[in-house]
Amino acid sequence: MTTLHGSLRAALFCATALGVTAPLAASAESVLRLDEVPVGQLDPGKASDYADSILMFNAYDTLVLPVQGGPGMAPHLARAWEADGDSWIFHLRDDVTFHSGNPMTAHDVVFSLERMQALGQGLSYLFGVVDSAEAIDDHTVRFNLSEANSPFVSALVRLPIIDRALVMENLADGDDEMGDWGEAFLAANAAGTGAYTVSAHNPQEETMFLRNEDYFLGVPDAAPDRVRLRYGLEAATVRTLIATNEHDISSQWLPPEVLRAIGNAGGQFLTETSAGAFYVKMNTTKAPLDDVNCRRALSAAFDYGAIMQIIAIDEGVAQGTPSTGAIPVGMLGANDPDAILERDMDAARAHLAECAHDPADFTLEIAWTAEVPVQERFSLMMQSNFAELGFNTEIRRVPWAVFTDLATSAETAPHISQIFANAVTGDPDTLLYGQFHSSAAGTWQSPEHLADDEVDRLLDEARRAEAEDERAALYAQLNDRLMEIAPTIFAFDRVSVFGASNRVAAPALSDPDAAFGLDGMGFSFRLMDMTD
Amino acid sequence: MPPLLRLILWRLGTSLIVLIGVSMLIFAIARVIPGDPARIALGANATAEQVEALRARLNLDEPIVVQYGIFLRDLARGDLGVSLYTNRPVTADIAQFLPATMELIVVAGLMMVLIGLPLGALAARYRNSWVDSTIRVISLLGVSAPSFVWAVILMLLFAYFLPIFPIAGRISEAMAVPRVTGFMLIDTLLAGRFDAFRNAAAHLALPAFALALSGIGQAARLTRANMIETYDKPYIEMAQSYGFSERKIARSYAFRPSLIPSLTIIGLDFAAMLGNAFLVEAVFAWPGLSRYGVEVILRKDLNGIVGTVLVISALFLIVNMIIDILLAYINPRIRHSTRPS
Repeated sequence: MTTLHGSLRAALFCATALGVTAPLAASAESVLRLDEVPVGQLDPGKASDYADSILMFNAYDTLVLPVQGGPGMAPHLARAWEADGDSWIFHLRDDVTFHSGNPMTAHDVVFSLERMQALGQGLSYLFGVVDSAEAIDDHTVRFNLSEANSPFVSALVRLPIIDRALVMENLADGDDEMGDWGEAFLAANAAGTGAYTVSAHNPQEETMFLRNEDYFLGVPDAAPDRVRLRYGLEAATVRTLIATNEHDISSQWLPPEVLRAIGNAGGQFLTETSAGAFYVKMNTTKAPLDDVNCRRALSAAFDYGAIMQIIAIDEGVAQGTPSTGAIPVGMLGANDPDAILERDMDAARAHLAECAHDPADFTLEIAWTAEVPVQERFSLMMQSNFAELGFNTEIRRVPWAVFTDLATSAETAPHISQIFANAVTGDPDTLLYGQFHSSAAGTWQSPEHLADDEVDRLLDEARRAEAEDERAALYAQLNDRLMEIAPTIFAFDRVSVFGASNRVAAPALSDPDAAFGLDGMGFSFRLMDMTD
Repeated sequence: MPPLLRLILWRLGTSLIVLIGVSMLIFAIARVIPGDPARIALGANATAEQVEALRARLNLDEPIVVQYGIFLRDLARGDLGVSLYTNRPVTADIAQFLPATMELIVVAGLMMVLIGLPLGALAARYRNSWVDSTIRVISLLGVSAPSFVWAVILMLLFAYFLPIFPIAGRISEAMAVPRVTGFMLIDTLLAGRFDAFRNAAAHLALPAFALALSGIGQAARLTRANMIETYDKPYIEMAQSYGFSERKIARSYAFRPSLIPSLTIIGLDFAAMLGNAFLVEAVFAWPGLSRYGVEVILRKDLNGIVGTVLVISALFLIVNMIIDILLAYINPRIRHSTRPS
């Protein structure tokens, strides 16, 4: 028994001795703590995911920024710009320096574009239309495009400007004369002008930011002094950390019940409307969905109200807003916000009567992405909805990697599949072209394998049109056309919801008039206030 | 040649063959998992041209035999390729993440030995008493619930309701010390920071205990059963008839023979923890190799998968070899019966 008592005493001593050290040391500086899914890609030439966007928008700057609370682009590193045929000329600010102290010039802009095109990763496809860029002088740069392209200006929100001189000092061996284009260096270091510098970066663990006191726009006093962005925290861990005031903002990927628990414990919800939507894709080449009337029938039978209940988190907070059509509310060409889609079984039966196929002859395959469990609930809802029309369905769980393969062929693409998509630049072109233009058919975005001349024409013309009114009219026509041929069920407009403590205020994630409408930009730390 | 040295050489030789076999197997398996690694690496928005370019860069267009040849050539130079998941050399990733996992499982392994074995011995010594019953219930609980369940329960109990221990991470920000070995306990001591050492140990306590609980239960149950069996042996009766104290009998005559099967199981548990630590690492935000291993599999990062599996396999073999040597040291019959056949 002496041994047992001794062990207990030793265990209690150890627990006490270790435990007293647990609380963090008090600090006068304000620290913002948040999390995202791994991995954090610090190289802006490869950035594509949400975490990458947060890193990019804080460590780097771009020539333009989305207007807060409205459409269009505002000057940022560029003071002004003008189009000259297929060329665009940007006049740069002359008071901007990189974290290294080097001045930002037109040569850095040219280098950043050429690097992105050379790497060919991330969102570099947005700049496929740019033939070349040239520095006219230190503060003027010209982009020469292969053809007129209105979405080009908005694409520039995805062209972070890199410190050319610093990268050149850190080139490693590579395939061409530019070595590795600084890949190794920029994977671990930031070389931007952003409001925050990166003091430490581990792509699987965390990134630490420090306020850039020399930022050309200044960083308000209330903004965090330091930011700790962690990767891969579990839902239970995040909930516990927020409850004990050791964490400030969760990722958007928490299950609704965990977000609800954070709210119930006194936390707040932050939201970002990111010019995206949830789409139910129908393979337009496979019977019975090769008949437009069958597709219309399914679209009308879809329960738009029930899916909103599935994604509801709390009163007035949900991971989406009701859909009004093919284009999310707030984007060019969107329908009136009050014109929300509703289930109409009479219309569904009328469309089905026009369909050349008998639903009893088919079993529709409904695929859901294994990594997104909520899609299973969507699938069960659709199974029930479509059964009312006499359709047999089979629900299939498909890992994302498998789905991307299946989607490439019209034969293997499921009858019905589900995706979240968003406009990576905020412009409808980056949301719609890849989904519905026939030249882009057969990707994860376009498992419909749609080939419609009218849709193609409208997408191409909207790309070329210069006036915003003209583009809005073209996208409105496209919206109508897509509703008419129903390749897709436009289920709901996507909203990202984050659980947060009350010690942080983030207008860009709570006030629609301050929102950017671009994934990740609401996490510009300089625009956040730490309240204690 | 001394029997022990012969045993070591024999195990080294067979381990090398096993490692080569594992490398071939995992190389092939990684390439037949559904999904295009280039597509997954480049993200949902990549164009077909970008995907093709990356496939060519990764030699994925070559026959698998050629790919394996390239892999062996690079491996001979200590190059495991670049991870598509982190965009860093796999060797750098392993060097970064392995110490965290090693620290976790070494401490968990020590807990298994230092808590599990004494608990088993105590239960056997006081068999059928309330002490025995209590230890058996605790052991059963440890064995029956998976470690991630314990991780969440321990976190709620001792970090949330009773905020004794930290919730996540390896060390508090304010206590960070320069990285030397990657083992936080060692690095804090090297920095001469005993406050940081205590802080790192506090961060380690819950995840290590959660990971060790199953092994503690298993070791306790096995040691108890073996000791009780040993207590029925004639030589124990003889020791009792000679009037030796119960403590001496337990320590010198009952415990040592019971140690052999327990050590074997602990060795297997210890090695298995390398793979099983994933969920505990996830709950406690522990930046270790197990988590990295699961992430690279999910993203079909071919170089990451092969590198991680090879390292875990090598560690598994090393741990088993150490256990074999320990057993041979404890039991001369094993040592002398070893034949390289």
